[in-house]
Amino acid sequence: MSSYQGVKEGAKQVVRLLEKFPDERFKYLVSFKKSQLERFRRIAGLPVASEGGAANSTAQITSINEIKDIVNRTSGPLGLQKDMLKKMQAAIPHDQFTEASMKAQIVSLTDLVNNKYKNYYDVGDKLYKPAGNPEYYQRILDDITGQKKENVFAGLRTVFWGK
Amino acid sequence: MIRYTTRCQGISSVARAQSRNLLRQSAAATLFYSTKTTTPQENKNDIEFDTLGSPITRGKNSAAASKEYKLPKWKEALGEYVIKTFGLDMDKVRAGPVAGSYYYSICKEQGLQYENEPLSESAKFFYEELKLPRTFSQWFQVTILHEWMLFVRMRAMPFKYGRNYQQKLVDKTFADIEMRLFDEMNIHSGRIVDQYSKDFNSQLKGAVFAYDVGFYTDDATLATAVWRNLFGGRKNIDYAHLDAVVKYIRSQLYVMSRMSDREFALGKFKFVPASEKVTILSPAEEEEMKQRVIKKYQDLDKSGLILPSDRSNLSYEN
Repeated sequence: MSSYQGVKEGAKQVVRLLEKFPDERFKYLVSFKKSQLERFRRIAGLPVASEGGAANSTAQITSINEIKDIVNRTSGPLGLQKDMLKKMQAAIPHDQFTEASMKAQIVSLTDLVNNKYKNYYDVGDKLYKPAGNPEYYQRILDDITGQKKENVFAGLRTVFWGK
Repeated sequence: MIRYTTRCQGISSVARAQSRNLLRQSAAATLFYSTKTTTPQENKNDIEFDTLGSPITRGKNSAAASKEYKLPKWKEALGEYVIKTFGLDMDKVRAGPVAGSYYYSICKEQGLQYENEPLSESAKFFYEELKLPRTFSQWFQVTILHEWMLFVRMRAMPFKYGRNYQQKLVDKTFADIEMRLFDEMNIHSGRIVDQYSKDFNSQLKGAVFAYDVGFYTDDATLATAVWRNLFGGRKNIDYAHLDAVVKYIRSQLYVMSRMSDREFALGKFKFVPASEKVTILSPAEEEEMKQRVIKKYQDLDKSGLILPSDRSNLSYEN
């Protein structure tokens, strides 16, 4: 029982850490933060209703074209043979947390949230502002955060000259 | 200190690696790598790089097939003469053999695995420790993760050369994938191979974009990019795995960031095995390493003993 409580408490801590994760700046097929919050909220016994409600409302809007789009984009896994899928399933670890493994999750997440490795292995401006293309990363970031949208000509310049 | 002969197995290849391309007392790795197993004999403070790209162990264009082949002396001399008279830009020419051949081969071997065969050391990290499925597309994800790391360093080279290096690396990747799909995966239809290639191409673009954003912003974003690409976005992910991969990526980039353009462009880089820990250099050590590299290449450039094909204009001071 106590270990169960420990896991539950740990999961709550994981949820708190996950909430510190930055929101994804770009819309992907799956969201790490969302799917993982749901996973650990369930273990922690916290309500997942807010996500569920949101999922329901989006489910209604999902059109046939969007479904087709998703199916097309995931042609690889769907085209796999059955025994291969089974093998892949077997290789994937399943959710069975003990107190110790939950602690390991917390330690790892804390490292990530605190930027431990970015700070420790500091590569400096040599790589963040690369000599060949100093504005490269800043341009990408400006564009996806919407701070500075570029026009067609800037895009064409990149296509033809590479930067 | 560490001897890099393990990559090519067999006595002949070890002998070959020892007979040439010795980079004694060289800069980069001497100070970086700390292995758990250093025997007294190995502790010689020298490193051997085998830059000729032998890791591709099989397939039509494998290095094993061309290992014994050596260019006749007169052809070599003719080549040097042509380079000298026409003043060819060797930094540009070198992109093919270094990025296309050597750098691709070290990316490829990381996740290379065959069914019913024991895994290599680097592959064990991905398939056993991280519990990734042993599939072709997973191999591709591992490969592009490593290629992306090289891209990051290549961007820091002068634009003209860095771009060329990237191009050669990508070209070789897709040529090799096509070959592997036909020969090893036994796909006979060109149309299906084309389809797969297109799919892999969009995966590559997506992964490079996501990793770039993660690299520039923070560890959490990089971890989500890794989760989406390398781990295929599976729900029950062990965060310790994500943590390990982020650490692995950052440490490799750190090693690359401490290399000069010249060394990197000559193919002196090699991925640090995941089982080894990279410790950062103190400013004094860094300075010492820099001076050693500068001295080495200054002496080489001044000596006049360097062949036209070995010349390079890239900086060795950064």
